[in-house]
Amino acid sequence: MARRAVTSVTIAGVGGQGIILASDIVAEAARCAGWEVKKNEVHGMAQRGGAVTSEVRFGERVHSPLVPDGEVDALVALEILEALRHAHRLREGGVVIASDLRIRPAVRPAGAPEYPADVVQRLRRAARRLVLVRATELAQQAGNVRAANTVLLGALSRHLDLPLAAWRAALGAVGPRLLEVNLRAFEMGRALRPARARA
Amino acid sequence: MLSAAAAPPRVLLSGDEAVARGALEAGVRVATAYPGTPSTEILEALASCEGVDARWAPNEKVALEVALGASFAGARAMASMKHVGVNVASDPLLTASYTGVRGGLVVVSADDPGMFSSQNEQDNRHYALFAKVPMLEPSDSQEAKDFTIAAFELSERFDTPVLVRITTRIAHAKGLVALGARQEREVSGFARDPAKTVMVPAHARRRHELVEERMLRLAEHAEETPLNRIEMADRRVGVVCSGICYQYVKEVRPRASVLKLGLTNPLPEGLIRGFAAAVERLYVVEELDPYLERQVRALGVPLAHPPTAPRTGELSPEAVARHLGARRRAPRPPAADLPPRPPVLCPGCGHRALLTVLKRLKVFVSGDIGCYTLGVQPPLQAMDTCVCMGASIGLATGIERATGRANNLVAVIGDSTFVHSGITPLIDVVYGQGATTVVILDNETVAMTGHQDHPGTGRTAAGKPTHRLRLEEVCRACGVEQVSVVDPYDLARTEEALRAAVSSPAPAVVIARRRCVLLDRQARPPARRVDAERCVGCGRCLSIGCPALSEATAAGGRRKVVEIAAALCAGCRVCAQLCPAEAIVEAGGDG
Repeated sequence: MARRAVTSVTIAGVGGQGIILASDIVAEAARCAGWEVKKNEVHGMAQRGGAVTSEVRFGERVHSPLVPDGEVDALVALEILEALRHAHRLREGGVVIASDLRIRPAVRPAGAPEYPADVVQRLRRAARRLVLVRATELAQQAGNVRAANTVLLGALSRHLDLPLAAWRAALGAVGPRLLEVNLRAFEMGRALRPARARA
Repeated sequence: MLSAAAAPPRVLLSGDEAVARGALEAGVRVATAYPGTPSTEILEALASCEGVDARWAPNEKVALEVALGASFAGARAMASMKHVGVNVASDPLLTASYTGVRGGLVVVSADDPGMFSSQNEQDNRHYALFAKVPMLEPSDSQEAKDFTIAAFELSERFDTPVLVRITTRIAHAKGLVALGARQEREVSGFARDPAKTVMVPAHARRRHELVEERMLRLAEHAEETPLNRIEMADRRVGVVCSGICYQYVKEVRPRASVLKLGLTNPLPEGLIRGFAAAVERLYVVEELDPYLERQVRALGVPLAHPPTAPRTGELSPEAVARHLGARRRAPRPPAADLPPRPPVLCPGCGHRALLTVLKRLKVFVSGDIGCYTLGVQPPLQAMDTCVCMGASIGLATGIERATGRANNLVAVIGDSTFVHSGITPLIDVVYGQGATTVVILDNETVAMTGHQDHPGTGRTAAGKPTHRLRLEEVCRACGVEQVSVVDPYDLARTEEALRAAVSSPAPAVVIARRRCVLLDRQARPPARRVDAERCVGCGRCLSIGCPALSEATAAGGRRKVVEIAAALCAGCRVCAQLCPAEAIVEAGGDG
């Protein structure tokens, strides 16, 4: 990815999937790499099974912790509908790293649309650079189904200009308890083919 | 943690953690708070710090009174709370302004523009004007730390409590912070000085004069403090701003001139006039109320934009760009027709079980502040009022007094909310000879803010054992004779207890005790599954809105059945008790 003044990563998913933890790892990796870092997250009631996002921005100088619309360089989604919900906020040429996992919203208010059956096709149209990851399956292979977020971070690492040592240090600092599983999950994601360079 | 030399040069801290760090470095001795998003993590970060007495208070009023007492005794003290918590603490706050302090006293208000987890989005900057206390507004984590230290110094220098006002995007944004060492400070002890600490009218009249003199001296200080600064750049556009708005302005108009205000009460009138004269077009950028705008206009300084009040919701870089007339590419529209994903009660939540029974009773539910407020959503729709902490009981009493009946009405309140402000209205139920039924949803924690302790859990903020307040004893001591305790997972017995309570002509309390399902995840009962052969597809189990349950098509047929996601199921068996066909069985067995 071309060096920009500020790189912005949005991580989206369903409350309980480890979204805030994943954003902590990205932020710590950027800090270890020597960049200024800001991140935002939402706590409290909004987390209970609802849609959750957290965003990380790094560069020489970062002002807003919120990523302006149209300036997301990389969107990481732990659930595919949540990828589609945020895809319009991508920068031209931005990349989407999405788990293929589908989680139906727990409640469907009267008149609300159904979960879109064609979510993959719609996401492909909305995001020309898409890495679709069998994150749950890979996390299970790595040793813990909850490491799906780390699998996606491994795939993300191919698209961000952060050294591998910074990622490893961040994984160790943020989640030391499951470090072995997380390092395995990260490598599995990193081994996936990255999205094509922007045409 | 306390040694800057051993720590990395700059660490990532949330604004909340940075406020805590600032207090720690400033030598705070007593810190106290009631949990509330987005302020909770401030006290949590201090709970394990050596040399700091950091404790949860039963409510914000008590927190501020404890902090003020510590200040009277010469210690630096801090009370932190969410914006609506300041309403509760406003009684001591407005008179603490008169008494002033001995040790530095900092009150942190964490506002929630956009209401991510709140019942209103009041702009607490007005409290600084109202209470006549100085207010600092940091714009990132580093400033959150630095301004907290500055707040303690200002407090002692000007003999006043100081309000540090942050918002969700400061409190829950992380940024790099350089750590410093803690300055230990002696605690002088309490010394008698009734003219300062006994606010009888004769003393208070004199103190009020001192308050007004203090604010004049602070206004002079505001002109020269480095907390306020001018960043002169392109003189065609000048922006007055504070807090997170400063970051949005720098994001979308990096070349604009900026008057960045860190001390936002009192305002530096000379600085504002001078800045206004130096730029061609002057803007004010602020979130929620036109707090700065009105004061700037009152100076007779013309602004380049029309009055913007009233305003709602949180600001964003895009909104600031529009306000400043910055040209930006039109954003792409979001994907259409996507199902929303609102927050829901967790699988296995005891609140769901209790609300399911209330729905069956067809009573009005006077609700309160807590996870159970999520029960207002379909399909449960079992919540008819929610105003503020503790309001459920008073509202129910008012409905009873207006309508003359209490047998169609239940007040529902969480354990921590009951301790916060549910006890006095319960006393009023008894004193007023009412018959209101109160249900205490006791999940043994403050769940919504992330599982903090409170007097009813028997543990301190640091997780150490302490006296456990027994809710049933409190209710009996208030004069309620009918107090019963049920497990809400047992729907039949819960219904029986509730029917007895609601139909009784005397006040009654039902304590529905079931520990929050997010605690002790290891101890869960086994998950359930649906025996598709037996399932008749009636959908009764779906009426409870459990995320683990969904509709599916039976294998090989068109018949609708219900499916249980084993990974989500907490094994509470609430759905199983509603099933007329006994189709919900233990996963792995045939029932």
